[in-house]
Amino acid sequence: MAVHQGEKIKIPKHSVNRPPTPDAAEDQGKEPTLQEIINIKLIESGEKERLMELLRERLIDCGWKDEMKALCRAHVKKKGRNNVTVDDLVHLITPKGRASVPDSVKAELLQRIRTFLMSAAL
Amino acid sequence: MSSKINGHVSPQPCPHLLDFRFRNGPKPFRALHDCIRVKPPGGRAAIRREPSEVPRCGTCEESSRSRLYACVACAAVFCHAPLLHSHASDHALSIPGHEIAVDVDRAELFCCACGDQVYDRDFDAAVVLAQTVNATATTSTSGSTAMQCSVAGSQPENLRKRRRVDYRPWEPDSGEHISRGNQSIPLLDATNASLVSSTQQPWGLRGLNNLGNTCFMNSILQALLHTPPLRNYFLGDRHNRYYCQQKNGAINGTKNSRLCLACDMDAIFSAVFSGDRTPYSPAKFLYSWWQHAANLASYEQQDAHEFFISMLEGIHEKVEKDKRKSQSPARQVTKVIVFSLTLINAELASALRFRTAGLMMSTALLLIPSSNKIDPAGGGDCCIAHRVFSGILRSDVMCMVCGFTSTTYDPCVDISLDLEPNQGGSGKSSSAKSLNSCNVEADCMHPNQNGGISTLNGCLERFTRAEKLGSDQKFFCQKCQVRQESLKQMSIRKLPLVSCFHVKRFEHSSIRKMSRKVDRFLQFPFSLDMAPYLSSSILRSRFGNRIFPFDGDEQDASNDLSTEFELFAVVTHSGRLDAGHYVTYLRLSNQWYKCDDAWITPVNESIVRAAQGYMMFYVQKVLYYKESENQGTS
Repeated sequence: MAVHQGEKIKIPKHSVNRPPTPDAAEDQGKEPTLQEIINIKLIESGEKERLMELLRERLIDCGWKDEMKALCRAHVKKKGRNNVTVDDLVHLITPKGRASVPDSVKAELLQRIRTFLMSAAL
Repeated sequence: MSSKINGHVSPQPCPHLLDFRFRNGPKPFRALHDCIRVKPPGGRAAIRREPSEVPRCGTCEESSRSRLYACVACAAVFCHAPLLHSHASDHALSIPGHEIAVDVDRAELFCCACGDQVYDRDFDAAVVLAQTVNATATTSTSGSTAMQCSVAGSQPENLRKRRRVDYRPWEPDSGEHISRGNQSIPLLDATNASLVSSTQQPWGLRGLNNLGNTCFMNSILQALLHTPPLRNYFLGDRHNRYYCQQKNGAINGTKNSRLCLACDMDAIFSAVFSGDRTPYSPAKFLYSWWQHAANLASYEQQDAHEFFISMLEGIHEKVEKDKRKSQSPARQVTKVIVFSLTLINAELASALRFRTAGLMMSTALLLIPSSNKIDPAGGGDCCIAHRVFSGILRSDVMCMVCGFTSTTYDPCVDISLDLEPNQGGSGKSSSAKSLNSCNVEADCMHPNQNGGISTLNGCLERFTRAEKLGSDQKFFCQKCQVRQESLKQMSIRKLPLVSCFHVKRFEHSSIRKMSRKVDRFLQFPFSLDMAPYLSSSILRSRFGNRIFPFDGDEQDASNDLSTEFELFAVVTHSGRLDAGHYVTYLRLSNQWYKCDDAWITPVNESIVRAAQGYMMFYVQKVLYYKESENQGTS
């Protein structure tokens, strides 16, 4: 069962499998939601990157990251190192994680986003 | 299920990954390499086809999903949220061969069929390369050499590999047998019952008289007397004070040349381990130290840590002076090695007394720290003080604008840790909750500050955390050629044999122009693993969750000695900044003793755990023997 070089699957830079452009989506009657628009604006201006960094810093400072890490460790210890997948861990900590984010962190980020939106004059 | 490469566990690929590799040649992720985008500073790697691409799921058109994966086979992007819907899994299951995808925001490979992260050496290496090429200014030719150069950063010159010599236990020859019988005093003998305490206290426990506010010196001396490598060195007659004084008299007859703190240490060791239990007065040592540190020569209260540093310096200086005196500068390096080797041989051959039993001598030789390595960073090997206490700290300063990182290595004999007076960040609400659950229980395992307790691990974690230097401390970036805001991170490149942690309990407020002492309790463990604070760990965590090809000489540093440490001495301070008292707790054969100047009492370990630690001494676990309870026979 030889592998023929000529048949090697390459990843083309401009693939035909590329997802349809937003214009095509609109033609099909799908309006981009407000969430989508805001998200794109955040990414394009680079603000999302900055917000992510800020969030990471805050969550480390308040010990949230350590708490989640401890939860994951406990779970892995219980199940065994080779019986745990990333999906398991995400499933495990998503509800607890979302619930335990301190209110001050949420407030700070919301404020930042609000400020950004006002300045972007949407 | 996982294999070890370079001592680090490397996960085995899942069957889908194996299948993918088989069908797509040896380097199936080659095409992804061009799509790796690294954003300075911080250097997080992402996968984007165009730098400004906004990835969105091919099925649901959403770009605001938290996990987006690009199929490696067909470059289509899908979202993955197993709780709700997973378009990535749908895609993987619908087309065979399309199970492997890459997380577009984290540049981590993922198997959609297994639902787990997978690893590919070459891909991870490419990501690390992309992240470090950004961070260093090294210009290199091609491929793997580039990676090695930039990954290692500004590594020091190639350290000479240690020559390993087969271990042969020492046996005395006939001449030595005779002189040993003639000139030695048996330590454990029925006739010397008066010397051996009937309470069966361990060897080397002897009170030190306070000579006038000298508790700072007594506490440090007690800790040093029981520092295993130091104790072995002096009890193994590696610094014979008679020989040293004789040699000093021969070279230079002035009184100053006879000043040798190591000789005085030798005298103290002899006195303390002699078996005599009456308190000893280290007057000669105090006098010698006053001559060395003239500015501190008084009967005022001093700082124990300052004394510790000054003492190590004193031992070091004397050795340096001797080396410089005895040969010409031209061929100094080789002569130093030859000189010290002949000195050691001479000492052994003409040792005037054997103060230890033969068995202890041979094991002591094994345990005496020594190596032929000349450390270019200056991290030890010059004198016994540095060989025991000196480690190397690595400091990375990264420019926040361009990502260029400047690395420096500095030797250190101890680590001074900040003790934060208040809790971190925005944890006010949750700290109230956790205070109830995790009281002032000394064994609370919380590494974070929210539990209300400071721990040594927490301090170390803060010490090695990346810290933003303030705008008034802008660092000159070589790439940008201007002063920029930067990020500084410390880590430990080489661990010393004995780690001394000094807690900064003295707060100086420039606003109020006064200093005060921080009495805040610090919880410290009896066993400490320093692995997470090593440079290799800190660097590895910077690059995220992947196989890290960090080889080079880091292996020597971590492979030769383990990272596990055992606590053996705690120096505590009680009282105020200007008037207080030092007490040392020593751990001998798993029993704790309180050494308060001339009074030594056995104490329960809970007392030690509750004590206010000021300096903590940890020794490498391999050098620390938890001796048996029965101390009757050696």
